[in-house]
Amino acid sequence: MLHRTEGIVLRTTSFGEADLLVTYLTSDFGVVKSFAKSPRKIKSRFGSSLEPLVQSRISFWGKEDTSLPRLTQSDIIHSFQSIRDTLSYFLKVSEIIELTLHFIPEREANKEVYSLFLNALYNIENNFNKNLAIIHYKIKFLELTGYVPKLDACGRCGRKGYCFYVAHGTILCETCSAGMVSSARLSPGVVKLYKDLLTWDTTKINRIRPSKMLLSELSSIIDMHTHHILTKPLKSSEFILLLSE
Amino acid sequence: MAQGIIENLITELIKLPGIGRKTAQRLAFFILAMSEEDVKGISRAINEVKEKARFCSECFNIAENEICSICSNSSRDRNKLCVVEEPSNILVIEKSKGFNGLYHVLLGALSPIDGVTPDKLKIEKLIERVKKNEIKEIILATNPNTKGEMTAQYIRELLKPFNVKVTRIAYGLPMGADIEFADEVTMNKALEGRREM
Ligand SMILES: [Zn+2]
Ligand SMILES: [Zn+2]
Repeated sequence: MLHRTEGIVLRTTSFGEADLLVTYLTSDFGVVKSFAKSPRKIKSRFGSSLEPLVQSRISFWGKEDTSLPRLTQSDIIHSFQSIRDTLSYFLKVSEIIELTLHFIPEREANKEVYSLFLNALYNIENNFNKNLAIIHYKIKFLELTGYVPKLDACGRCGRKGYCFYVAHGTILCETCSAGMVSSARLSPGVVKLYKDLLTWDTTKINRIRPSKMLLSELSSIIDMHTHHILTKPLKSSEFILLLSE
Repeated sequence: MAQGIIENLITELIKLPGIGRKTAQRLAFFILAMSEEDVKGISRAINEVKEKARFCSECFNIAENEICSICSNSSRDRNKLCVVEEPSNILVIEKSKGFNGLYHVLLGALSPIDGVTPDKLKIEKLIERVKKNEIKEIILATNPNTKGEMTAQYIRELLKPFNVKVTRIAYGLPMGADIEFADEVTMNKALEGRREM
């Protein structure tokens, strides 16, 4: 059966002599792994359309239950070449690619995640605060998949609190956290930034102008949280850390 | 009995890239019909490659000895170093006869989401060679795809403190192709990389 949809390349893996396994985030089928014949050959009709982040109109063919449909066509809608042209931008985006691959099951349609991802790429490309775009994606993505940490009030009683407990994925107030060791103490600014990012639409977040310190404080809380859920850090985050040393 | 050993050969041949069951069957019956001498030649060559081949301790090309035939060739230009991802890339560049310098094989390309970090590649060894030797130009010939490009950019950064010219192989349209079928990224790169004539 032939399927047509729109997709963004998340990851490619070499396969055999000149073939490629291409993992897409699609608008209609969620994450789809497909098999592309010979794109690594110089004169392949796929050209550069299978590089990570390329958004294209794709067709793939396979029986309903096949785990690896064959990619038959891909026409570029938007290439996002400028992100791939700069190592530091691509590294940042690698984090959200990896996060997405970890949390989204294959073949489960999720239009919201698709448009969130696409908007994040546009924000990163359009000379926007790139760290803000990344953290916004992470938080909204965790919200859509049901894994967002609670940072605005105590997760048990709803009272005010500023101490985050990673094992519980939430802030706890003094009463509810009696006898526990807190993972991090949040500044009021971080709580406000978190609330703003959750409420504001992707197309409007450029109106938020947080300080570098607030951004990195929130980033480290979110990374600590995902690290806890996945029981390991993201490989791309470790990579970025390695380069910054 | 005969069925069993032929089937065995087919199963082994399928392990090779680009060989499906049909091709494997054809090859198996072809091997059966070959002279004993020819067949022994093939199996000897296969064994030898596994027993004797190793990585050159200088450039990580495939070598029969400690140092590969290119590194030990005194007529090669020691001021130029071409950086590639895999030893097989060297064969292609050598065939082009467009390069007479030395090589450095990284044995892969950087890939953040797959955990392929700089320490997993022969990058440190490359920097060591630059420090130690009289290298004037480094040609980055990693693949023109995202992983290859990231790797080239990363190495470019590392080489900044050294007094060495760093170049990147040209991007663009393949020879013999028609512009009509070029995609936007390839065409854009070809325009960027245009040169005066
Ligand atoms: Zn409480
Ligand atoms: Zn060598």
